[in-house]
Amino acid sequence: MKIECVKEKLKNAVVLADRVTGKNVSLPALKSLVLIAKEKSIVIKATNLEVGVEYEIPARVHREGVTAVPGAVFSSVMSTLYNDEVVTLEVVKDNLFISTKHNSVVVKTESYEDFPLIPRVQGKNKLTIPADKLTDSIKSVWYAASVSDIKPEIASVFIYPDNDDLVLVSTDSFRLAEKKILNIKPGRFDGILIPSKNISDIMRILDGQSGDIQMTFNENQISFSGTGIYITSRLVEGIFPDYRQIVPKEHTTEVAVLEKDFLNALKSSTVFADTFNQITLSVDIAQKTFQVASKNTNIGETATLLPAAINGEDIIMNFNYKYIIESFQSFNSDSVIIRFNGTNKPIVISGLSDKSFLYLVMPMNR
Amino acid sequence: MRVLSKVYMQTIEPKQLWKEALNEIEMNVSPANFSTWFKQTHIIKEEDGVIYLGVQNTFVKEWLMVKYNKLILKSIRNSFEGVRNVEYIITKDVPSGEANVQKIEPVLTNEQFPLHDLYINKEDNLNPRYTFDSFIVGSFNDLAYAASQAVINKPGVAHNPFVVYGQTGLGKTHLIQSTGNQLKKNGAMVFYTSSEKFSLDYASSVLNNQRHAFKEKYRKYDVFIMDDIQFLSKKEGTQEELFHLFNELYENNKQIIFSSDKHHNYIPNVEDRLKTRFSQGITVDIAQPDYESRLMILNTKLKAYSIAVPDDILDYIATNITGSIRELEGILNTISCHAELHKKPLQISDIKEIVRSNARPKKTLDIKEVTKIVSDFYHLDDGVIYKKTRRKEIVKPRQILMYLLREDFGTSFPLIGQKLGGRDHTTVIHACEKIKNDIKKDSVLVQELEQLRTML
Repeated sequence: MKIECVKEKLKNAVVLADRVTGKNVSLPALKSLVLIAKEKSIVIKATNLEVGVEYEIPARVHREGVTAVPGAVFSSVMSTLYNDEVVTLEVVKDNLFISTKHNSVVVKTESYEDFPLIPRVQGKNKLTIPADKLTDSIKSVWYAASVSDIKPEIASVFIYPDNDDLVLVSTDSFRLAEKKILNIKPGRFDGILIPSKNISDIMRILDGQSGDIQMTFNENQISFSGTGIYITSRLVEGIFPDYRQIVPKEHTTEVAVLEKDFLNALKSSTVFADTFNQITLSVDIAQKTFQVASKNTNIGETATLLPAAINGEDIIMNFNYKYIIESFQSFNSDSVIIRFNGTNKPIVISGLSDKSFLYLVMPMNR
Repeated sequence: MRVLSKVYMQTIEPKQLWKEALNEIEMNVSPANFSTWFKQTHIIKEEDGVIYLGVQNTFVKEWLMVKYNKLILKSIRNSFEGVRNVEYIITKDVPSGEANVQKIEPVLTNEQFPLHDLYINKEDNLNPRYTFDSFIVGSFNDLAYAASQAVINKPGVAHNPFVVYGQTGLGKTHLIQSTGNQLKKNGAMVFYTSSEKFSLDYASSVLNNQRHAFKEKYRKYDVFIMDDIQFLSKKEGTQEELFHLFNELYENNKQIIFSSDKHHNYIPNVEDRLKTRFSQGITVDIAQPDYESRLMILNTKLKAYSIAVPDDILDYIATNITGSIRELEGILNTISCHAELHKKPLQISDIKEIVRSNARPKKTLDIKEVTKIVSDFYHLDDGVIYKKTRRKEIVKPRQILMYLLREDFGTSFPLIGQKLGGRDHTTVIHACEKIKNDIKKDSVLVQELEQLRTML
């Protein structure tokens, strides 16, 4: 095989594809990227049997062919090639020659016989979503999923249709993030669960894609395909907990605060938070103050009063700041609203002008 | 050959067969390939020469199909000639025999959401766990099952409404929910509600002046399922609303399904126009499961537990626990707990102990006490009930007393007669027959009996 292609495109594909090569697997073929030169393009494949990915990059093909190279090596090589625009790949016997005007690299190839097929998902369920909306929504929720595999249904992002909207939600039972993609008319289907480990790979691969992404899924498998890209992941079998019943419908105290102020106050309290990452939020109606404070007997303490619009009752509650800070990547709004609903009840944080995102956090119990 | 292989299959377990095939495969592929593709496979079943293999995901399925199908077939044929084909099915639960080790989570000070695992679809209220796969059909419920299948095949046409009644814990909800889930799979818009929720919903619609929205909400469904309609009793407004809803759905050939703990004609304080409408489709009852069905239920339920229970123990349970399916489940739960705790096979004597302490206590009888309760209930003075009088206000309580003693406590006719003022046993038989007949017509009487029974 011998091809020429744009270096930048190849580099992106190789670096991202290497994310899903098998790292600790018994089958050595899974550590490789498979390169297929055919007609006017080169296809790069990688899988760890959880996620499979295929990139197709336009290329000048001088000689068609197939080869496999260790993903880690290939991606390191590609990310260190500077200056030149075009790269040439050529296989001679058991070696892959990677060359530009100024560099030449030789990598030993591997056998591609054992490299598995990347399944094509058959299913009547199809959804088309603009790539930026999809990645943005995944980014808004994926971090809240449980990291433990004990309950696979919450170590996942749950996606389901709600009338005209598509809803993505995840929780680790201490906090919960829900993002709606509004008005995309997803049709009717039973909700699907994508493992959170897989969805972070999917998110990074889809990030920066333009145009539409088509999602196709059946009960076991889902695929995302866009221009020059195809990703597939297994789905989790299980039932996501009925979270809507825990979303408070009322509130006793409401605080509207600038997102920037709140984030800064949280950051300064993290310095003094104790081993439980505990911070204290308090609302004083008479004084009209909203305070973020933390205290560590060994280090010191801090308290920040924030300018805020407040109404409702006085309240003091403790939280793990990590759970609150993480949600800040998801607000598309200058101000956030924090709604309290009494002690020992979850608080709800949402953007003032953004109705599509909702975040719930449970307080700490002391 | 077929006969031979059948015999072979009986002597060799499918599990054993696959184990042998795996040994063969292991010799033909590299260890890396073997552990990646074959280690986690298992055999599900053999049917008409087709072997169904369970695999963990789509990657494995495709790769086995494309690359290793021939090798797999060849390896299985080595020990079992009759195999025509191999099918691959994606299953998540690999019966490896190892129990899932639950990790002990660290004590966290952060509170958790009160998330419930039991998930009920908010759109239709159906619980997806109820399916026909886990529904056991026996002589006690085969009619109800057949009717439900007819409903699934021709919704709105075959039997409309479809009413199921039977005592608690016999699988009414399971049956109607499974029917709903199946109809949903076939593409119908299904809505499941309990009569209580329906009436609450109605009450709040009246309160919020949204009666129109309430009507609209329920009328859009293709299949309307209402559980436990006996609670409609005395709720006139709800009954009227249900009546209109019923007519609307019925006229549009929408399937209606009800369940109740007694025949709808015996539900007190339900308007006749509703009762007649309930009757116009099919009404089937689910009886107590018989011995064979109980044994079958036990065997099916046991598959969910990873313990082996000898046949004589199952036989003992099936003979001695005669009540609802829930009770059988309860006993199995207890047994599995005990087995885990003591880590040794259970003996029949252990089981006897468990059954004895777990079984529903039989009502003990003190005729005098029952007599007093009945007398008090009808405001009769002490002893009047024993007197030889035919005054109506005394005869009726006396007959009811005889009926209760006979039906609920199984007292013999002569003994009842003797205890209630030395009457002949035929008098008692007559009394019981009379009450039995009256129940069918007189809803007030049914109510009185119910109240009495709760007092006893």
